[in-house]
Amino acid sequence: MKATDDTGVQSAPGDEQRLLDHTYDGIRELDYPLPRWWLMIFYASIVFSIGYCVYYFAGIGPDGATELAAKMKIIEAKRPPEPAATADGDDQVLVAAIRDSGRAAAGKSVYQSKCAACHGQSGEGGIGPNLTDDHWLHGQGRPQDVLEVVRKGVPAKGMPAWAELLKPNEQIEVTAYIRSIHGTRPPGAKAAQGELREFQEL
Amino acid sequence: MKNETFSYDDAIVKKFALATLVWGGVAFLVGLIAALQLADWRLNFGVSWFTFGRLRPLHTNAAVFAFAGNAIFAGIYYSTQRLLKARMFSDALSKFHFWGWQAIIAAAAITLPMGFSQSKEYAELEWPIDLAITVVWVVFGVNFFMTLLRRRERHMYVALWFYIATILTVGVLHVINSIEIPVGWFQSYPVYAGVQDALVQWWYGHNAVAFFLTTPFLGLMYYFIPKASGRPIYSYRLSIVHFWSLVFIYIWAGPHHLLYTALPDWAQTLGVVFSVMLLAPSWGGMINGLLTLRGAWDRVRTEPILKFFAAAVTFYGMATFEGPLLSIKSVSAIGHYTDWIIAHVHGGALGWNGFLTFGMLYYLVPKLWKTELYSKSLANTHFWIGTVGILLYIISMWASGVTQGLMLQAIDEHGRLVYPDFVETVLRIVPLFWIRAVGGSLFLTGFLVMCYNLWKTVESAPADSKEDVYSAPALAPVPETALGGTWHRRLEALAPTFSVLTLIAILVGSVLEILPTLLMHTYVDSNDKTVPYTALELAGRDIYVKEGCYVCHSQMIRQLPGDVLRYGAASTPEESMYDRPFQWGSKRTGPDLARVGGKYPNMWHFRHMIDPRLVTPNSIMPSYPWLTEKKIDFDGLQRKLDVMRSLGVPYGDADVLYAASNARAAAAQIAADLGTETGVKDLETREIIALIAYLQRLGVSPKAAPATQVGSN
Repeated sequence: MKATDDTGVQSAPGDEQRLLDHTYDGIRELDYPLPRWWLMIFYASIVFSIGYCVYYFAGIGPDGATELAAKMKIIEAKRPPEPAATADGDDQVLVAAIRDSGRAAAGKSVYQSKCAACHGQSGEGGIGPNLTDDHWLHGQGRPQDVLEVVRKGVPAKGMPAWAELLKPNEQIEVTAYIRSIHGTRPPGAKAAQGELREFQEL
Repeated sequence: MKNETFSYDDAIVKKFALATLVWGGVAFLVGLIAALQLADWRLNFGVSWFTFGRLRPLHTNAAVFAFAGNAIFAGIYYSTQRLLKARMFSDALSKFHFWGWQAIIAAAAITLPMGFSQSKEYAELEWPIDLAITVVWVVFGVNFFMTLLRRRERHMYVALWFYIATILTVGVLHVINSIEIPVGWFQSYPVYAGVQDALVQWWYGHNAVAFFLTTPFLGLMYYFIPKASGRPIYSYRLSIVHFWSLVFIYIWAGPHHLLYTALPDWAQTLGVVFSVMLLAPSWGGMINGLLTLRGAWDRVRTEPILKFFAAAVTFYGMATFEGPLLSIKSVSAIGHYTDWIIAHVHGGALGWNGFLTFGMLYYLVPKLWKTELYSKSLANTHFWIGTVGILLYIISMWASGVTQGLMLQAIDEHGRLVYPDFVETVLRIVPLFWIRAVGGSLFLTGFLVMCYNLWKTVESAPADSKEDVYSAPALAPVPETALGGTWHRRLEALAPTFSVLTLIAILVGSVLEILPTLLMHTYVDSNDKTVPYTALELAGRDIYVKEGCYVCHSQMIRQLPGDVLRYGAASTPEESMYDRPFQWGSKRTGPDLARVGGKYPNMWHFRHMIDPRLVTPNSIMPSYPWLTEKKIDFDGLQRKLDVMRSLGVPYGDADVLYAASNARAAAAQIAADLGTETGVKDLETREIIALIAYLQRLGVSPKAAPATQVGSN
């Protein structure tokens, strides 16, 4: 049973010694000490904060830009080695990439983030032409013609030049990927544009 | 000393309680609509004022200032009079406060859907409303402090300390964050730009949570929990320590909203450490609340009011553990810009503010109308429906935030993004949006059950409700030295001194963080690298702000590999040095746009605005068909550029004088391009042209180009 004092306050065992003489609209106050675990958390957070500030303000820890540069360096190191020369006409690199299904697969992620918005998720075309059919607006139907368009774009038609925005190996890989989806007949394909040509091996 | 008789103004409490119910219904309903719009874009209906970008600010403002605001005022007016044994200083000021606040809310409910917004979160309202808020808040403050001076109780109870901190700090926050120059009746530009605007805004935004959703509710907790449970407060000492540490530390923590951004490193470091140090002061309040219920736990099982209070304090403990956790940089890297933050704020808003308010209303309404609660079992039903609703909400949003946060930052063994396609990460979490909507519906259902219960309670009230009369001796003036007790006990008897010390406590952190940011320009390289927006781009920027694009799109590439690989080089302070207001955003429901300029042709943007799914299959973005119909306000541009120039943007005389004709010429060029590519003619005066001009400029600073030249890419 709990006792009820004249202000309607119920007390729990041990409260009597802790009850202060404060009364506000019938509200009473006890004066238990600060819980030790709570104080420990408070002190620990203060000690951590001092250490953290010293680490960064004294220049021991890296600043944001330095930290990012270090992380990017590790990521760059993971990148597969860049193909040697990829100047125009270096067909060997392109042929090797097209035959390597792994590199075409790597090109898929580039395609989806950069190309799919205009050429469709599966190359079916949209704002830009269908990339899976046998009709060509630019070049002779060779893979290097695709690479050429990737690099230089078609500014007049709104296609950006990717030479500076994609790394050389990404340009090769996305070309390999586009070669790999040729003839897949995706649903919703855009009507043919340009001249009928066969996609040549090289 | 002679006894004085007095009564309490409970009519004003009734008014605020009723307003809490009305606006609570609006806030929760709009929140549910917004949640459903995220789950299915078609629910935007292609109607400008009903689209997510405009409804979301309405939801947050209604929840914070209308629902929680009226609840705070109801509780403060009820408890302050009783704790001070004094009627409010002036019934007229109380009434002005009430009607003024409701008028502000009504103005917000009309102007926000119309797109009149400053885009600064929880401070979106335009300058005439900002002025009104200032006036009403000052009236509230005068009414409160004059009552404090006329009190018949020598010492101030801890609840009052929290009310003092609330009134002073909210006033300071609102005034400083709202310094803006009008360019029209419902448009203005802030005096702060870019990184400075970001810091001031999040100092405000974070402390709106601290001093509008935390300190007043702690005050209410300190009054209503002991009143409803009949238990004494657990620890007076703890009240003192956690009050002062809370108000001193909270004010510093704002930069944790800006970790890894272009905000200077020193400010980010301060934001981290003060957020970490905030855990114990916050938990001090939780401990005092929960341990006050010690010895009353048997009644928590049967008494719905105590159930709501116990749950509210528990949610407070959860949210204030989560806050410091999210402020650790490596956690922020995953959680920031995702639904984790949405989960965090709703744990606080629905659990802590919502449930504490519900418990308070179940306590207050029978007391105010001098009757009994209509149904305890309905109140218990409300508790359980509401609790399940909150849990569904926050668990689904935790899952969503962590899922998307990890997907967006995932990098494979070849150093490439695992999910380069942003929309893929969105599609993964859409099912969780549906679960969130179910949680929100349950919370709203529980709320409606409460409204019915309280309505029936009021219906059963006796017709005659005369004000009770009380009597107490007036306070005899006592010299400071004659006040007994500890130093803090003496301070509790000195209301003005106490208030000044509180003000100092919150000003220290504010001044030390904001002043250096405003004064030091060392981190903004003003060597003409950044070219100001052209007149047309500025017109487009205003449309971007008006449509609430910032609600879902950030313009801040953080110093994180995932951000850099996805969006390009990390954003610098210089890039947003002319951005008034800044558009860094706080949530990425869509991708970052800091470097979207030149990425797609104009035609892409045109089709994307008419129907995003034409270019991004499965996109959940609403369609903006009205952008091709509404006209650009060319004639207002001269004034806009003039105001920008007065704020320090380096426009030449010709730029300002010929703003309209320059913009028309630039618009004609983009319209001609679209005409050729899409066959759609006569677009040159339409808003979509200005918006495209702005988007094509983002992240592209035309080097050494005069500001008047067209920045079309």
